[in-house]
Amino acid sequence: MTPLLDVRNLRTYFETDKGVVKSVDDISFELGRGEVMGLVGESGSGKSITGFSLIGLLDENGHIQEGSSVRFNGRELVGLSERELRAIRGKDISMVFQDPMMTLNPVVKIVDQIGMAIRAHEKVSDAEIRKRAIEALDRVRIVDPQDKVDQYPHEFSGGMRQRVAIAIALLHRPQLVIADEPTTALDVSVQAEILTMVKALVAEMGTSLIWVSHDLATVSSIADTIAVMRRGKILEAGPAREVLHHPRHPYTQGLLDALPSRSKPGELLASAATEAAGAMELTGLGSGAIDAAPDETFVKAENIEKVFAPRIGAFHRLGIRWGVMREPSPVRAVKSASLTIARGEILGLVGESGSGKSTLGRILCGIYSPDAGTVSIGGKPVRSDKGKLGTHVQMIFQDPFASLDPRRTIFQSVSDGPIAHGFCTRAGAREYVNRWLRAVAFDPALADRYPHQFSGGQRQRIAIARALALQPEVIVCDEPVASLDVSIQAQVINLLMELRRTLNITLLFISHDLSVVHHLCDRVVVMRHGEIVEEGTATQVFHAPRHPYTQMLLDAVPKLEA
Amino acid sequence: MASFILRRLVQALFVLLVMSMLVFTGVYVIGNPIDVLISPDVTQAMRQQVIEQYGLHLPLWQQYLQFLQRLLTGDLGRSFVFNMPVLTLIGQRLPATLELTLTAVLFASIVGIPLGVYAGYKPDSLAAKVIMAVSVLGFSVPTFWIGLMLIMVFAVQLGLLPAGGRGETADLFGVPFSFLTANGWSHLVLPALNLSLFKLAMMCRLAASGTREIMLTDTIKFARAAGISEGTILRRHVLKLISIPLVTVFGLELGSTLAFALVTETIFSWPGLGKLIIDSITSLDRPVMVAYLMLVSALFVFINLCVDLTYAVLDPRLRQGRR
Amino acid sequence: MAMDTRAVKAVSPLTEFWRTFRRNKIAVAALCVVLAIIIVAVFAPFIVPQDPFDLKSLVLRDSRRPPGHVGATGIVHLLGTDSQGRDLLSAIVYGLRISLQMGLVAGGIAFTIGAVVGSFAAYVGGRVESIIMRIVDVQLSFPAILLAFVVAAILGQGKSQLILALVFAQYAYFVRTAHGAAAAERQKDYVQAALSVPMSGWFVITRHILPNSLPPLIVVATVQIASAISLEATLSFLGVGLPPTEPSLGMLIANGFQYLMSGRYWIAIYPGVALIVLIMAINLVGDQIRDQLNPRLRK
Repeated sequence: MTPLLDVRNLRTYFETDKGVVKSVDDISFELGRGEVMGLVGESGSGKSITGFSLIGLLDENGHIQEGSSVRFNGRELVGLSERELRAIRGKDISMVFQDPMMTLNPVVKIVDQIGMAIRAHEKVSDAEIRKRAIEALDRVRIVDPQDKVDQYPHEFSGGMRQRVAIAIALLHRPQLVIADEPTTALDVSVQAEILTMVKALVAEMGTSLIWVSHDLATVSSIADTIAVMRRGKILEAGPAREVLHHPRHPYTQGLLDALPSRSKPGELLASAATEAAGAMELTGLGSGAIDAAPDETFVKAENIEKVFAPRIGAFHRLGIRWGVMREPSPVRAVKSASLTIARGEILGLVGESGSGKSTLGRILCGIYSPDAGTVSIGGKPVRSDKGKLGTHVQMIFQDPFASLDPRRTIFQSVSDGPIAHGFCTRAGAREYVNRWLRAVAFDPALADRYPHQFSGGQRQRIAIARALALQPEVIVCDEPVASLDVSIQAQVINLLMELRRTLNITLLFISHDLSVVHHLCDRVVVMRHGEIVEEGTATQVFHAPRHPYTQMLLDAVPKLEA
Repeated sequence: MASFILRRLVQALFVLLVMSMLVFTGVYVIGNPIDVLISPDVTQAMRQQVIEQYGLHLPLWQQYLQFLQRLLTGDLGRSFVFNMPVLTLIGQRLPATLELTLTAVLFASIVGIPLGVYAGYKPDSLAAKVIMAVSVLGFSVPTFWIGLMLIMVFAVQLGLLPAGGRGETADLFGVPFSFLTANGWSHLVLPALNLSLFKLAMMCRLAASGTREIMLTDTIKFARAAGISEGTILRRHVLKLISIPLVTVFGLELGSTLAFALVTETIFSWPGLGKLIIDSITSLDRPVMVAYLMLVSALFVFINLCVDLTYAVLDPRLRQGRR
Repeated sequence: MAMDTRAVKAVSPLTEFWRTFRRNKIAVAALCVVLAIIIVAVFAPFIVPQDPFDLKSLVLRDSRRPPGHVGATGIVHLLGTDSQGRDLLSAIVYGLRISLQMGLVAGGIAFTIGAVVGSFAAYVGGRVESIIMRIVDVQLSFPAILLAFVVAAILGQGKSQLILALVFAQYAYFVRTAHGAAAAERQKDYVQAALSVPMSGWFVITRHILPNSLPPLIVVATVQIASAISLEATLSFLGVGLPPTEPSLGMLIANGFQYLMSGRYWIAIYPGVALIVLIMAINLVGDQIRDQLNPRLRK
């Protein structure tokens, strides 16, 4: 029997300003009916482009090369006209995209968006469209589909929008669905629901599925077979259990080893990137914290409140008084939160998007002023009415592409703070900065370049060096590894653990990723809707959670199938 | 929704009040109109009488209050030069300007937006490149110069169309309009074309850049992945998305075209408001200037209000009371 | 994609920018035209055959002569002469000089006001920000030409009066752009990082926010300088701009208008062509910069 999909020697090249980029470089694989394949790779591996190549949906500058073959039900798809491809797209092969906030048209009603997709392949009456749209929403378990079809996307949450996108993809009962990182942009709990739902739907409909993802754990919970991609090539492919438990390629092994969930908490993670970057030089660094006495309540935040109130103009106030306008409801980002961190401890702050964890982190760092409550470090307040006091708490941000000024060189970015606060003189800045760059295993010879010349992992190390150069006692890390590939993530985690060990720095580690927090942190605080719902040692929280929310989060975390 | 309209209305009134103060003070600064009103050889007593008749001896704030008071009763004063109520004067001229402006903006939109959408949809095609190149030219040529060229070619060299005036008019609701007669049209074509070319280029460029960005979004890619035809994508997705910024532009351009009409009206001797304001500035006809500026302000405020409302209708995110 | 090798040179964002810019041949040509016009305008007295301000050198007999006419003083009038017997080419070069001067000075002042007020508003936020932006919004709803026309009419003729009118008509565009850019930069993590150091407000504004909001301001500046030149010509054409002693291109065209009907086309056309070439070249350069800065169009 012929496989549903038979890809042979697929090559997709892009012509860019910087020359030809071989995004997909000679890959072959087969997919049977009803089979679920996980296509795994780090950013830039060509996994998404592979998905788009199958249905010939590439940007203007991308081309499938001669000699490539994609056979679907025995029919060659490469070289088909746009018309013929369009007849297949959405009907026989459909796609789900990564970011549900971007895929639906914000100014078109849900029923009309579904209707367009139905009419792309069938002639149907308006009444029929409505009926089928309601059915489609019902299938992806959206409550009240009769009312929901008449709404606009902005009235839906991210998870619901992704459900709508999935409903659209399944409208014509396609034989193959290509899902491109469909849960990456969603919260853990939503991610788990969608995963379960898709799994059930494809099983029920007998649809084949290609699940493109960077996350081995997610893939392992849904895929029958796994293909690992790097730099446009498939390095390894086979049954999921085989690939996960007996990887043949060292790269796959490396990916698995870099997962925090696969090693004991507190251990350094195996990371090829750490080795490639070279040794960290951590000797001879000044820091106030190294020999400091233990202090159980070194960082102390008490009853922190933060409200983001929408600004009300004079007219608006008048309108409220006349009763013709509503008072906008203020957002209570943080509600009476208290926490302490011992000196030298790593405290994990866990929560989903909108939980207020970032806001609390910024308040602890002194960037925001709380509306009520106090923050002190070593007994001294971090902020006065006028602004932040001192440099003893620093911050590392999520997106290393945004946290460095694109118009300042690495040297300038790292030296600005120390010069302004007297840690070094302008003349001695070069030598001072180099010391801290070496501490994060960054080659000082590259310090005169601009951020755009470096990768995400390198930038994140620069950002850490910038924070370290102010010799802080506390560092607030706001999702510092969320946007990094697994191997780079392992490198940054290792770096943070080393810094804590050698420099005795106290860390507040904010993250949505429970496995990373479990690996790195001594104690954990769980936040939800601005409130702290659970607090305890890592072991206690992860093994015997007291709050149902924590339990739900833990259950939702995708795990590598044993 | 009601709160939105109310807020905008209160704001609009406030803007108008501030504008009236600025305009009144600004115009007050320009020369003494008494010299325009009477010949230099009249007696001192007569001079004094005229000054008092127009209230020119009062301090500025009193003159302003008087002006406001009369404004509320719908009286904008009398023109010094034409010696008739300003309201009547403007009422005579306004239709001509509105007719010219609307024709120009409609023409610019009907031609410019489709061209722009096409150029943005297929940015690498030859036609798109030609459209964009011509639009840069149209965007760069000053309106008054184009006007001169149009007159030179169509009126002087070819003798096809008249170089000025409104031609025959016919009445609609008691107001004379040129577009109702063939002769009127022949007079309207050149000035309207002149006034619209710059706007046409501008709308074309905006539509092109908007379409180009929309075409690169995931929304369009997702629609394509669902097998939806390009025609449907253009009609149902692109046009709907791009209509929101274009409505804003349309409104703003209507206002600015109204202002630019003064250049075109001067060149083509079109008897509209633009010519009136230029004449009144050179002759220091204060009431006419104030009234014109107030009228234009009111029009702009009204147009902006309409734009905001249309915006709210088009964008469901605004309609449901979000800010 | 690894860029760890030391062979890679340090590339500043500006160098990178120029590399991409260079690829658009039309934009490079336009840039050359702009530079050439600036050079010609600066060295005008050494280039043109006749000083159009020197009334003694004008011969009335030579007035309104067609292009190619050889004047009484032996000068070949390549583009003909105007109503006072001025060599049109010389008049155009001097006119360009005045137009450029107006555009650059007015644009420069408006740019500075806009950058300072806009980034200040974005940085301080709160009530000050909303008051400033409300004023700007109201002003922006009035077309520039009307504002410039009224202010120019109120102030009377003259160079500095005209510059003031142009600045008044244009500064709001710069404020809005600077505010938008600065407000966006202020939200970015690198500014938050600087605030967490903490760096002083002055440092954050001058070293982080201003340099990073410069690109969109430069785009607006090209558009606004082009439109200031066009506005100046329009105002001078309408008779509320420069005095007759400062013959800008607009005035040359206005003078030629009356002879257009009698077939003496060159007096109005050639200054117009010069004006268009200048404005178009500036717009083309601005177009390329804008396309390059638009992150959504990047490949």
